[in-house]
Amino acid sequence: MRRMTIAALALIGVFVALYLTMYKMGVIGHLACGFGSCERVNTSKWAIFAGAPVAAWGLGFYVATLVVAIAGTSPSLVHRREISYLLAAMSGVGVAFSAWLTYLELYVIDAICRYCVMSAVIVTAIFIVSIADVAMQPRVQPRVQPEQLPE
Amino acid sequence: MANNNPPRNARSAATKPSSGRRAFYGVLVAIALVGVAAILYLKQSPASNDTGAEAQAAYAAAQRDYAKAGPPKPYVMGNPKAPVVIEEFADFECPVCGSYATVTEPDVRKRIIDPGLAYYKYYDFPLPMHHNTQTASNAAACADEQGKFWEMHDQLFAGQDAWGLNPDGATQVTDNPKSVFVGYAQAIGINTAQFGQCLDTKKYQSRINANAADGFRRNVGQTPTFFINGKMFAGSIPYDVLKKAVDDAAAAAAAAPAATPAPAPAK
Repeated sequence: MRRMTIAALALIGVFVALYLTMYKMGVIGHLACGFGSCERVNTSKWAIFAGAPVAAWGLGFYVATLVVAIAGTSPSLVHRREISYLLAAMSGVGVAFSAWLTYLELYVIDAICRYCVMSAVIVTAIFIVSIADVAMQPRVQPRVQPEQLPE
Repeated sequence: MANNNPPRNARSAATKPSSGRRAFYGVLVAIALVGVAAILYLKQSPASNDTGAEAQAAYAAAQRDYAKAGPPKPYVMGNPKAPVVIEEFADFECPVCGSYATVTEPDVRKRIIDPGLAYYKYYDFPLPMHHNTQTASNAAACADEQGKFWEMHDQLFAGQDAWGLNPDGATQVTDNPKSVFVGYAQAIGINTAQFGQCLDTKKYQSRINANAADGFRRNVGQTPTFFINGKMFAGSIPYDVLKKAVDDAAAAAAAAPAATPAPAPAK
């Protein structure tokens, strides 16, 4: 259930990041931004990271999280702690990156983009559920031994 | 026997086709549908209110002033007898225009304008919230006086970081853009004394105002905005979309040549 929740949150994040990426690629001429300063944030020099739009990095992050979370719900992987650790590590990096971006919005760019805030909330929620997944995952994985099963 | 219970549960969880998983995939599909619908809805929504009340008021005032301007005189490129006319309304200080000019436009020139598929017209549309953009439009017009508009156009867009908006998106990198533009004039090999005097006297301000006025008349509300044989495309558009629009316009012009005559050159 926890990984399903993570997958659902990641899919929402995919669409938030996709919308911003489409804007950066010129597919959408303007951002619908009832409040805040979405275009100021997304046309600032901070909207590019390592040569690619920050929104595209976010899109890649959410897609990767979605894939790992869905895979982690499969019967063969549902009890694997490695999946829990991977999701926690990925979302931890995501939270740190979002925190840095939020700092830039508040103190450097002096403008807030509501889609960026939405993404920060989503990645934080993913991180919290991931930590819960790590904490609640059984330490000894159930092992299915067919010969031990009753008829 | 009691020790066998956990494995039995484990086997059950591992092998039973779960209705919970089916519901989970249903939820994902529902989220995906809502996500696609939301993006399509947002794509149709009005532009953001980023500019604020002050800039909106300045914009409205500029619109009133421009209404008194004369006929437009855009800067042109390509074959005036081409079947398609691409008109661009842009602001030299607008980052999205800069992105189009530096990333997309080189392809447009090489693959559409140079082969004669379309004729290109550039109209000034300086936005009032960009404090250095009027000077930039004047610099481009003064370079045009010496036959180097497009060279200056390219310098201005490529060099936005040196004279345009700060990363905060609100303040300017410099209060003295002229010194930067004189450097560009030297780089493209025009007479800098003549250029400087032209810039100081705002010799072509009326041309700039007239170009912007034409944008207001044609309901341009953002930069860049394109018209391809009269059809408006608001916002930056990728090369493939622009090329398809040009191809469609050329096909329509070929089908009804009398209905879409090539406009006369403006210069």
